[in-house]
Amino acid sequence: MKRSLTLALLAATALACAGQAARADLLDDIMKAGKIRIATDLAIPPSGMIDGAMKPTGSDVETAELLAKDWGLQLEFVQTTGATRIPNVQTNKADIIISTLSVTPERAKVIDFSKPYAALQSVVGCLKSVEAKSWDDLKGKTIAVSRGTTQDTTLTNMKERDLKLARYEDDATMVTAAVSGQADCVASSATIVSQIGVKAPARPFEPKVSITNFDLAIGVKKGEPKLIEKLDAWVEQNLKNGKLNAIYKKFHGTDLPANMRG
Amino acid sequence: MGLHLDFSVVLERWPLFLDGAAMTLKLAFIAILTGGAIGTFCAIGRGSSNRFIAGLCAAYVETIRNTPLLVQIFLVYFGLASIGFKFSAFSVAAAALAINVGAYTAEIMRAGFEAIPPSQIEAAEGLALSRVQIYWHVILLPAIEKVYPSLTSQFVLLMLASSVTSQISAEELTAVANYVQSDTYRAFETYILVALAYIALSLVLRAAFWALGQVLFPRRRRLGTPL
Repeated sequence: MKRSLTLALLAATALACAGQAARADLLDDIMKAGKIRIATDLAIPPSGMIDGAMKPTGSDVETAELLAKDWGLQLEFVQTTGATRIPNVQTNKADIIISTLSVTPERAKVIDFSKPYAALQSVVGCLKSVEAKSWDDLKGKTIAVSRGTTQDTTLTNMKERDLKLARYEDDATMVTAAVSGQADCVASSATIVSQIGVKAPARPFEPKVSITNFDLAIGVKKGEPKLIEKLDAWVEQNLKNGKLNAIYKKFHGTDLPANMRG
Repeated sequence: MGLHLDFSVVLERWPLFLDGAAMTLKLAFIAILTGGAIGTFCAIGRGSSNRFIAGLCAAYVETIRNTPLLVQIFLVYFGLASIGFKFSAFSVAAAALAINVGAYTAEIMRAGFEAIPPSQIEAAEGLALSRVQIYWHVILLPAIEKVYPSLTSQFVLLMLASSVTSQISAEELTAVANYVQSDTYRAFETYILVALAYIALSLVLRAAFWALGQVLFPRRRRLGTPL
Protein backbone atom coordinates (compact mmCIF):
# COMPACT_ATOMS: atom_id res chain seq x y z
CA MET A 1 0.00 0.00 0.00
CA LYS A 2 2.68 2.40 1.08
CA ARG A 3 4.86 1.49 -1.85
CA SER A 4 2.11 1.99 -4.38
CA LEU A 5 1.42 5.41 -2.85
CA THR A 6 5.10 6.35 -3.20
CA LEU A 7 5.06 5.14 -6.78
CA ALA A 8 1.96 7.18 -7.53
CA LEU A 9 3.55 10.24 -5.97
CA LEU A 10 6.71 9.71 -8.01
CA ALA A 11 4.70 9.36 -11.16
CA ALA A 12 2.76 12.51 -10.35
CA THR A 13 5.98 14.43 -9.69
CA ALA A 14 7.47 13.19 -12.95
CA LEU A 15 4.37 14.29 -14.80
CA ALA A 16 4.41 17.69 -13.14
CA CYS A 17 8.09 18.13 -14.03
CA ALA A 18 7.46 17.08 -17.59
CA GLY A 19 4.71 19.67 -17.88
CA GLN A 20 7.05 22.21 -16.42
CA ALA A 21 9.92 21.63 -18.75
CA ALA A 22 7.87 23.13 -21.52
CA ARG A 23 8.16 26.62 -20.01
CA ALA A 24 10.56 28.61 -17.90
CA ASP A 25 10.65 28.27 -14.16
CA LEU A 26 8.84 31.05 -12.22
CA LEU A 27 11.81 31.57 -9.89
CA ASP A 28 14.13 32.05 -12.87
CA ASP A 29 11.67 34.52 -14.37
CA ILE A 30 11.56 36.54 -11.16
CA MET A 31 15.33 36.62 -10.81
CA LYS A 32 15.77 37.57 -14.45
CA ALA A 33 13.27 40.41 -14.16
CA GLY A 34 14.88 41.59 -10.92
CA LYS A 35 11.38 42.25 -9.66
CA ILE A 36 8.87 40.32 -7.59
CA ARG A 37 5.12 40.96 -7.77
CA ILE A 38 3.42 40.25 -4.47
CA ALA A 39 -0.35 40.14 -4.02
CA THR A 40 -1.35 41.82 -0.76
CA ASP A 41 -4.69 43.06 0.48
CA LEU A 42 -4.11 46.61 1.72
CA ALA A 43 -7.50 46.99 3.39
CA ILE A 44 -7.17 44.62 6.34
CA PRO A 45 -5.34 46.34 9.18
CA PRO A 46 -3.05 45.57 10.82
CA SER A 47 -1.80 43.10 8.19
CA GLY A 48 -2.14 45.35 5.20
CA MET A 49 -3.16 49.01 5.18
CA ILE A 50 -2.32 52.45 3.84
CA ASP A 51 -0.67 54.84 6.30
CA GLY A 52 -1.12 58.60 6.69
CA ALA A 53 1.40 59.27 3.93
CA MET A 54 -0.58 57.02 1.56
CA LYS A 55 2.14 54.36 1.69
CA PRO A 56 1.39 50.68 2.21
CA THR A 57 2.21 49.38 5.66
CA GLY A 58 1.31 46.46 7.90
CA SER A 59 2.76 43.11 8.92
CA ASP A 60 2.23 41.49 5.51
CA VAL A 61 3.65 44.56 3.78
CA GLU A 62 6.81 44.51 5.90
CA THR A 63 7.15 40.76 5.38
CA ALA A 64 7.01 41.33 1.63
CA GLU A 65 9.54 44.17 1.87
CA LEU A 66 11.90 41.98 3.90
CA LEU A 67 11.67 39.21 1.33
CA ALA A 68 12.37 41.53 -1.59
CA LYS A 69 15.32 43.07 0.25
CA ASP A 70 16.83 39.69 1.18
CA TRP A 71 16.56 38.46 -2.37
CA GLY A 72 17.83 41.73 -3.83
CA LEU A 73 14.68 42.31 -5.84
CA GLN A 74 12.54 45.28 -6.64
CA LEU A 75 9.09 44.95 -5.03
CA GLU A 76 5.80 45.54 -6.74
CA PHE A 77 2.57 45.25 -4.75
CA VAL A 78 -0.40 43.85 -6.60
CA GLN A 79 -3.41 45.17 -4.70
CA THR A 80 -5.91 42.44 -4.10
CA THR A 81 -8.95 41.54 -2.06
CA GLY A 82 -9.55 38.43 0.00
CA ALA A 83 -11.42 36.73 -2.81
CA THR A 84 -9.02 37.61 -5.62
CA ARG A 85 -5.78 36.57 -3.89
CA ILE A 86 -5.61 33.11 -5.40
CA PRO A 87 -6.79 34.01 -8.94
CA ASN A 88 -4.04 36.64 -9.02
CA VAL A 89 -1.28 34.03 -8.92
CA GLN A 90 -3.18 31.50 -11.01
CA THR A 91 -3.49 33.99 -13.86
CA ASN A 92 0.10 35.20 -13.44
CA LYS A 93 -0.84 38.73 -12.39
CA ALA A 94 1.29 38.25 -9.29
CA ASP A 95 4.15 35.91 -8.44
CA ILE A 96 3.30 35.12 -4.83
CA ILE A 97 0.62 35.91 -2.21
CA ILE A 98 1.48 37.38 1.18
CA SER A 99 -1.94 38.37 2.48
CA THR A 100 -3.17 36.63 5.68
CA LEU A 101 -3.63 33.51 3.60
CA SER A 102 -4.51 30.70 5.97
CA VAL A 103 -3.59 27.17 5.02
CA THR A 104 -6.68 25.05 4.30
CA PRO A 105 -7.06 21.70 2.53
CA GLU A 106 -9.42 23.28 -0.04
CA ARG A 107 -6.85 25.90 -0.98
CA ALA A 108 -4.05 23.33 -1.09
CA LYS A 109 -5.88 21.74 -4.04
CA VAL A 110 -5.41 24.83 -6.20
CA ILE A 111 -2.19 26.45 -4.98
CA ASP A 112 0.97 25.47 -3.11
CA PHE A 113 1.93 26.88 0.28
CA SER A 114 5.30 27.76 1.74
CA LYS A 115 6.09 27.03 5.37
CA PRO A 116 3.86 29.19 7.62
CA TYR A 117 5.43 32.58 8.34
CA ALA A 118 2.77 33.83 10.79
CA ALA A 119 -0.46 32.74 12.45
CA LEU A 120 -3.97 33.99 13.02
CA GLN A 121 -4.36 33.36 16.71
CA SER A 122 -7.77 32.99 18.20
CA VAL A 123 -7.53 33.28 21.99
CA VAL A 124 -9.33 33.93 25.22
CA GLY A 125 -7.70 37.06 26.60
CA CYS A 126 -8.22 38.41 30.10
CA LEU A 127 -7.14 41.33 32.21
CA LYS A 128 -3.45 40.96 32.99
CA SER A 129 -4.28 40.66 36.69
CA VAL A 130 -6.60 37.69 36.14
CA GLU A 131 -4.99 34.35 36.99
CA ALA A 132 -5.94 32.07 34.11
CA LYS A 133 -3.69 29.53 32.50
CA SER A 134 -6.08 26.82 31.36
CA TRP A 135 -9.72 26.26 30.50
CA ASP A 136 -10.35 25.17 34.10
CA ASP A 137 -9.34 28.61 35.37
CA LEU A 138 -11.94 30.18 33.06
CA LYS A 139 -14.81 28.21 34.57
CA GLY A 140 -17.50 30.54 35.88
CA LYS A 141 -15.86 33.65 34.42
CA THR A 142 -17.89 35.70 31.98
CA ILE A 143 -16.29 35.73 28.54
CA ALA A 144 -17.38 38.37 26.05
CA VAL A 145 -17.63 37.36 22.38
CA SER A 146 -19.00 38.83 19.18
CA ARG A 147 -22.14 36.97 18.26
CA GLY A 148 -21.79 34.45 15.43
CA THR A 149 -18.00 34.60 15.10
CA THR A 150 -15.89 31.43 14.99
CA GLN A 151 -14.93 32.09 18.62
CA ASP A 152 -18.62 32.19 19.58
CA THR A 153 -19.41 28.91 17.82
CA THR A 154 -16.29 27.17 19.11
CA LEU A 155 -16.83 28.18 22.74
CA THR A 156 -20.58 27.55 22.60
CA ASN A 157 -19.84 23.97 21.58
CA MET A 158 -17.50 23.46 24.57
CA LYS A 159 -20.44 22.52 26.77
CA GLU A 160 -18.37 20.39 29.15
CA ARG A 161 -16.11 23.34 30.01
CA ASP A 162 -18.95 25.24 31.69
CA LEU A 163 -18.09 28.65 30.24
CA LYS A 164 -20.33 31.69 30.68
CA LEU A 165 -20.58 33.60 27.41
CA ALA A 166 -21.87 37.15 27.00
CA ARG A 167 -22.63 37.72 23.33
CA TYR A 168 -22.34 41.23 21.95
CA GLU A 169 -23.53 42.42 18.58
CA ASP A 170 -20.09 43.27 17.15
CA ASP A 171 -16.41 43.68 17.99
CA ALA A 172 -16.88 47.34 18.94
CA THR A 173 -19.48 46.60 21.63
CA MET A 174 -17.45 43.63 22.86
CA VAL A 175 -14.37 45.83 23.25
CA THR A 176 -16.47 48.47 25.06
CA ALA A 177 -17.60 45.77 27.49
CA ALA A 178 -13.95 44.91 28.16
CA VAL A 179 -12.85 48.53 28.49
CA SER A 180 -15.73 49.56 30.77
CA GLY A 181 -15.25 46.60 33.08
CA GLN A 182 -18.37 44.61 32.19
CA ALA A 183 -16.14 41.76 31.07
CA ASP A 184 -12.72 40.70 32.33
CA CYS A 185 -12.26 38.12 29.57
CA VAL A 186 -12.91 38.22 25.83
CA ALA A 187 -12.62 35.59 23.12
CA SER A 188 -11.30 37.10 19.91
CA SER A 189 -8.18 37.36 17.79
CA ALA A 190 -4.91 37.91 19.64
CA THR A 191 -4.59 41.18 17.73
CA ILE A 192 -7.81 42.63 19.13
CA VAL A 193 -6.98 41.37 22.64
CA SER A 194 -3.69 43.27 22.69
CA GLN A 195 -5.29 46.32 21.06
CA ILE A 196 -7.56 46.77 24.11
CA GLY A 197 -4.62 47.68 26.34
CA VAL A 198 -3.27 50.09 23.72
CA LYS A 199 -6.56 51.99 23.53
CA ALA A 200 -7.36 51.74 27.25
CA PRO A 201 -4.09 51.62 29.22
CA ALA A 202 -6.02 51.36 32.50
CA ARG A 203 -7.27 47.90 31.57
CA PRO A 204 -4.53 45.97 29.75
CA PHE A 205 -5.59 42.59 28.36
CA GLU A 206 -3.33 39.74 27.32
CA PRO A 207 -3.91 36.37 25.62
CA LYS A 208 -4.40 33.67 28.26
CA VAL A 209 -5.74 30.51 26.65
CA SER A 210 -5.34 29.60 23.01
CA ILE A 211 -8.47 28.52 21.11
CA THR A 212 -7.11 27.81 17.63
CA ASN A 213 -4.20 28.91 15.47
CA PHE A 214 -4.56 29.23 11.72
CA ASP A 215 -1.24 29.01 9.92
CA LEU A 216 -0.62 31.83 7.49
CA ALA A 217 1.64 30.96 4.58
CA ILE A 218 2.91 32.38 1.33
CA GLY A 219 0.85 31.17 -1.63
CA VAL A 220 2.37 30.16 -4.95
CA LYS A 221 0.70 28.69 -8.00
CA LYS A 222 0.96 24.93 -8.41
CA GLY A 223 4.08 23.33 -9.77
CA GLU A 224 6.89 25.72 -8.75
CA PRO A 225 9.02 23.50 -6.48
CA LYS A 226 12.17 25.62 -6.80
CA LEU A 227 10.36 28.76 -5.71
CA ILE A 228 8.66 26.96 -2.81
CA GLU A 229 12.01 25.55 -1.69
CA LYS A 230 13.62 28.98 -1.67
CA LEU A 231 10.62 30.49 0.14
CA ASP A 232 10.70 27.73 2.76
CA ALA A 233 14.38 28.37 3.41
CA TRP A 234 13.75 32.10 3.70
CA VAL A 235 10.82 31.66 6.11
CA GLU A 236 12.78 29.22 8.25
CA GLN A 237 15.77 31.51 8.46
CA ASN A 238 13.75 34.58 9.35
CA LEU A 239 11.67 32.77 11.94
CA LYS A 240 14.90 31.61 13.54
CA ASN A 241 16.60 35.02 13.55
CA GLY A 242 13.41 36.57 14.98
CA LYS A 243 12.80 39.06 12.16
CA LEU A 244 9.36 37.67 11.27
CA ASN A 245 8.38 37.60 14.92
CA ALA A 246 9.48 41.22 15.31
CA ILE A 247 7.32 42.29 12.37
CA TYR A 248 4.35 40.37 13.76
CA LYS A 249 4.77 41.81 17.22
CA LYS A 250 5.10 45.34 15.89
CA PHE A 251 1.67 45.23 14.28
CA HIS A 252 -0.26 42.61 16.26
CA GLY A 253 1.08 43.31 19.73
CA THR A 254 1.81 39.67 20.58
CA ASP A 255 4.50 37.13 19.77
CA LEU A 256 3.96 34.37 17.27
CA PRO A 257 2.96 31.03 18.85
CA ALA A 258 5.95 29.49 20.65
CA ASN A 259 6.13 26.42 18.41
CA MET A 260 6.56 28.66 15.35
CA ARG A 261 9.38 30.72 16.80
CA GLY A 262 11.37 27.47 17.02
CA MET B 1 -35.49 33.22 -8.97
CA GLY B 2 -37.64 31.78 -6.29
CA LEU B 3 -37.64 32.29 -2.58
CA HIS B 4 -36.84 29.06 -0.81
CA LEU B 5 -37.88 29.01 2.79
CA ASP B 6 -36.63 26.21 4.95
CA PHE B 7 -37.82 26.46 8.51
CA SER B 8 -36.58 23.05 9.64
CA VAL B 9 -33.09 24.05 10.86
CA VAL B 10 -34.56 27.09 12.58
CA LEU B 11 -37.45 25.23 14.15
CA GLU B 12 -35.25 22.51 15.60
CA ARG B 13 -33.69 25.20 17.81
CA TRP B 14 -37.06 25.85 19.46
CA PRO B 15 -35.82 25.46 23.06
CA LEU B 16 -33.57 28.49 22.48
CA PHE B 17 -36.52 30.53 21.23
CA LEU B 18 -38.58 29.45 24.23
CA ASP B 19 -35.84 30.58 26.62
CA GLY B 20 -35.62 33.87 24.76
CA ALA B 21 -39.37 34.47 24.90
CA ALA B 22 -39.40 33.69 28.63
CA MET B 23 -36.56 36.15 29.16
CA THR B 24 -38.43 38.84 27.17
CA LEU B 25 -41.56 38.35 29.26
CA LYS B 26 -39.55 38.43 32.49
CA LEU B 27 -37.84 41.66 31.45
CA ALA B 28 -41.18 43.22 30.50
CA PHE B 29 -42.86 42.08 33.73
CA ILE B 30 -40.17 43.54 36.02
CA ALA B 31 -39.92 46.76 34.00
CA ILE B 32 -43.71 47.27 33.95
CA LEU B 33 -44.07 46.76 37.72
CA THR B 34 -41.17 49.01 38.76
CA GLY B 35 -41.61 51.46 35.88
CA GLY B 36 -45.33 51.74 36.62
CA ALA B 37 -44.58 52.58 40.26
CA ILE B 38 -41.83 55.07 39.33
CA GLY B 39 -44.17 56.72 36.83
CA THR B 40 -47.07 57.02 39.24
CA PHE B 41 -44.94 58.56 41.99
CA CYS B 42 -43.36 60.87 39.46
CA ALA B 43 -46.75 62.05 38.20
CA ILE B 44 -47.74 62.82 41.79
CA GLY B 45 -44.37 64.52 42.35
CA ARG B 46 -44.75 66.76 39.30
CA GLY B 47 -47.99 68.10 40.74
CA SER B 48 -46.39 68.65 44.17
CA SER B 49 -46.24 72.10 45.72
CA ASN B 50 -42.61 71.39 46.70
CA ARG B 51 -40.77 72.98 43.79
CA PHE B 52 -37.63 70.86 44.26
CA ILE B 53 -39.54 67.57 43.95
CA ALA B 54 -41.61 68.88 41.05
CA GLY B 55 -38.47 70.05 39.25
CA LEU B 56 -36.66 66.78 39.85
CA CYS B 57 -39.54 64.76 38.43
CA ALA B 58 -39.86 67.07 35.43
CA ALA B 59 -36.12 66.82 34.71
CA TYR B 60 -36.25 63.01 34.87
CA VAL B 61 -39.25 62.77 32.56
CA GLU B 62 -37.86 65.20 30.01
CA THR B 63 -34.37 63.63 29.96
CA ILE B 64 -35.69 60.14 29.40
CA ARG B 65 -38.33 61.11 26.88
CA ASN B 66 -35.80 63.02 24.78
CA THR B 67 -33.02 60.44 24.55
CA PRO B 68 -32.98 57.12 22.67
CA LEU B 69 -33.53 53.95 24.69
CA LEU B 70 -30.36 52.36 23.29
CA VAL B 71 -28.25 55.26 24.52
CA GLN B 72 -29.86 55.00 27.97
CA ILE B 73 -29.08 51.28 28.07
CA PHE B 74 -25.44 51.82 27.08
CA LEU B 75 -25.13 54.61 29.67
CA VAL B 76 -26.42 52.42 32.48
CA TYR B 77 -24.56 49.28 31.39
CA PHE B 78 -21.13 50.66 30.46
CA GLY B 79 -21.37 53.79 32.60
CA LEU B 80 -22.05 51.99 35.86
CA ALA B 81 -19.31 49.44 35.12
CA SER B 82 -16.79 52.22 34.44
CA ILE B 83 -17.28 53.62 37.94
CA GLY B 84 -17.04 50.18 39.48
CA PHE B 85 -20.63 48.95 39.79
CA LYS B 86 -20.92 45.70 37.91
CA PHE B 87 -24.36 44.17 37.41
CA SER B 88 -25.48 41.39 35.13
CA ALA B 89 -26.77 42.28 31.70
CA PHE B 90 -30.23 41.10 32.74
CA SER B 91 -30.53 43.38 35.78
CA VAL B 92 -29.18 46.35 33.86
CA ALA B 93 -31.60 45.66 31.00
CA ALA B 94 -34.54 45.44 33.41
CA ALA B 95 -33.46 48.60 35.26
CA ALA B 96 -32.92 50.61 32.08
CA LEU B 97 -36.29 49.54 30.69
CA ALA B 98 -37.99 50.43 33.99
CA ILE B 99 -36.38 53.87 34.04
CA ASN B 100 -37.45 54.37 30.44
CA VAL B 101 -41.07 53.28 30.78
CA GLY B 102 -41.32 55.15 34.10
CA ALA B 103 -40.98 58.50 32.31
CA TYR B 104 -43.67 57.68 29.76
CA THR B 105 -45.96 56.30 32.45
CA ALA B 106 -45.50 59.53 34.42
CA GLU B 107 -46.86 61.58 31.53
CA ILE B 108 -49.80 59.24 30.99
CA MET B 109 -50.62 59.19 34.70
CA ARG B 110 -50.39 62.99 34.88
CA ALA B 111 -53.07 63.16 32.20
CA GLY B 112 -55.17 60.80 34.33
CA PHE B 113 -54.78 62.89 37.49
CA GLU B 114 -55.62 66.10 35.65
CA ALA B 115 -58.77 64.52 34.31
CA ILE B 116 -60.19 64.10 37.85
CA PRO B 117 -62.67 66.96 38.37
CA PRO B 118 -61.76 69.01 41.50
CA SER B 119 -65.43 68.90 42.50
CA GLN B 120 -65.15 65.12 42.87
CA ILE B 121 -62.35 65.54 45.43
CA GLU B 122 -64.31 68.29 47.21
CA ALA B 123 -67.31 65.99 47.36
CA ALA B 124 -65.16 63.26 48.93
CA GLU B 125 -63.85 65.76 51.49
CA GLY B 126 -67.42 66.78 52.17
CA LEU B 127 -68.23 63.15 52.91
CA ALA B 128 -65.41 63.14 55.50
CA LEU B 129 -63.27 60.50 53.75
CA SER B 130 -59.72 60.28 55.07
CA ARG B 131 -56.83 61.56 52.92
CA VAL B 132 -55.70 58.02 52.16
CA GLN B 133 -59.20 56.99 51.20
CA ILE B 134 -59.55 60.02 48.93
CA TYR B 135 -56.23 59.37 47.25
CA TRP B 136 -56.92 55.71 46.64
CA HIS B 137 -60.62 55.62 45.76
CA VAL B 138 -61.30 59.08 44.37
CA ILE B 139 -58.05 60.02 42.66
CA LEU B 140 -55.70 57.11 41.89
CA LEU B 141 -58.02 54.31 40.78
CA PRO B 142 -60.29 56.55 38.65
CA ALA B 143 -57.19 58.17 37.13
CA ILE B 144 -55.73 54.79 36.17
CA GLU B 145 -59.11 53.74 34.84
CA LYS B 146 -59.27 56.76 32.54
CA VAL B 147 -55.82 56.18 31.02
CA TYR B 148 -55.86 52.39 31.16
CA PRO B 149 -55.83 51.87 27.34
CA SER B 150 -52.86 54.24 26.93
CA LEU B 151 -51.00 52.47 29.72
CA THR B 152 -51.65 49.10 28.12
CA SER B 153 -50.28 50.17 24.76
CA GLN B 154 -47.25 51.82 26.39
CA PHE B 155 -46.47 48.58 28.22
CA VAL B 156 -46.82 46.52 25.04
CA LEU B 157 -44.44 48.96 23.34
CA LEU B 158 -42.01 48.44 26.20
CA MET B 159 -42.12 44.68 25.75
CA LEU B 160 -41.28 45.15 22.04
CA ALA B 161 -38.55 47.70 22.88
CA SER B 162 -36.86 45.15 25.13
CA SER B 163 -35.47 43.72 21.86
CA VAL B 164 -32.66 46.31 21.87
CA THR B 165 -31.26 44.89 25.12
CA SER B 166 -29.70 42.15 22.96
CA GLN B 167 -27.02 44.80 22.37
CA ILE B 168 -25.73 44.42 25.91
CA SER B 169 -25.83 40.62 25.77
CA ALA B 170 -29.18 40.06 27.49
CA GLU B 171 -30.28 36.75 26.00
CA GLU B 172 -33.86 37.72 25.14
CA LEU B 173 -35.84 36.77 22.05
CA THR B 174 -34.05 39.04 19.57
CA ALA B 175 -30.63 38.00 20.86
CA VAL B 176 -31.63 34.38 20.30
CA ALA B 177 -32.80 35.27 16.79
CA ASN B 178 -29.50 36.98 15.98
CA TYR B 179 -27.62 33.99 17.26
CA VAL B 180 -29.72 31.43 15.41
CA GLN B 181 -29.52 33.29 12.11
CA SER B 182 -25.74 33.62 12.37
CA ASP B 183 -25.59 29.91 13.11
CA THR B 184 -27.95 28.66 10.40
CA TYR B 185 -27.66 31.46 7.78
CA ARG B 186 -31.47 31.30 7.61
CA ALA B 187 -32.05 34.96 8.43
CA PHE B 188 -35.41 35.42 6.73
CA GLU B 189 -36.95 32.32 8.30
CA THR B 190 -35.58 33.21 11.73
CA TYR B 191 -36.98 36.73 11.73
CA ILE B 192 -40.35 35.61 10.36
CA LEU B 193 -40.57 33.20 13.26
CA VAL B 194 -39.49 35.81 15.79
CA ALA B 195 -41.96 38.35 14.42
CA LEU B 196 -44.74 35.80 14.92
CA ALA B 197 -43.47 35.14 18.44
CA TYR B 198 -43.59 38.87 19.26
CA ILE B 199 -47.16 39.10 17.93
CA ALA B 200 -48.11 36.19 20.18
CA LEU B 201 -46.40 37.82 23.17
CA SER B 202 -48.22 41.11 22.49
CA LEU B 203 -51.57 39.34 22.34
CA VAL B 204 -50.81 37.54 25.61
CA LEU B 205 -49.86 40.83 27.26
CA ARG B 206 -52.98 42.60 25.97
CA ALA B 207 -55.20 39.77 27.16
CA ALA B 208 -53.54 39.88 30.59
CA PHE B 209 -54.13 43.63 30.90
CA TRP B 210 -57.75 43.25 29.76
CA ALA B 211 -58.33 40.61 32.45
CA LEU B 212 -56.61 42.76 35.07
CA GLY B 213 -58.81 45.69 34.06
CA GLN B 214 -61.93 43.60 34.53
CA VAL B 215 -60.83 42.81 38.10
CA LEU B 216 -59.65 46.31 39.01
CA PHE B 217 -62.49 48.31 37.58
CA PRO B 218 -65.88 46.76 38.40
CA ARG B 219 -67.71 49.71 36.85
CA ARG B 220 -66.09 49.03 33.51
CA ARG B 221 -67.04 45.39 33.86
CA ARG B 222 -70.69 46.26 34.39
CA LEU B 223 -71.06 49.14 31.97
CA GLY B 224 -68.47 48.08 29.40
CA THR B 225 -67.12 51.63 29.32
CA PRO B 226 -64.89 53.78 31.54
CA LEU B 227 -66.29 56.57 33.63
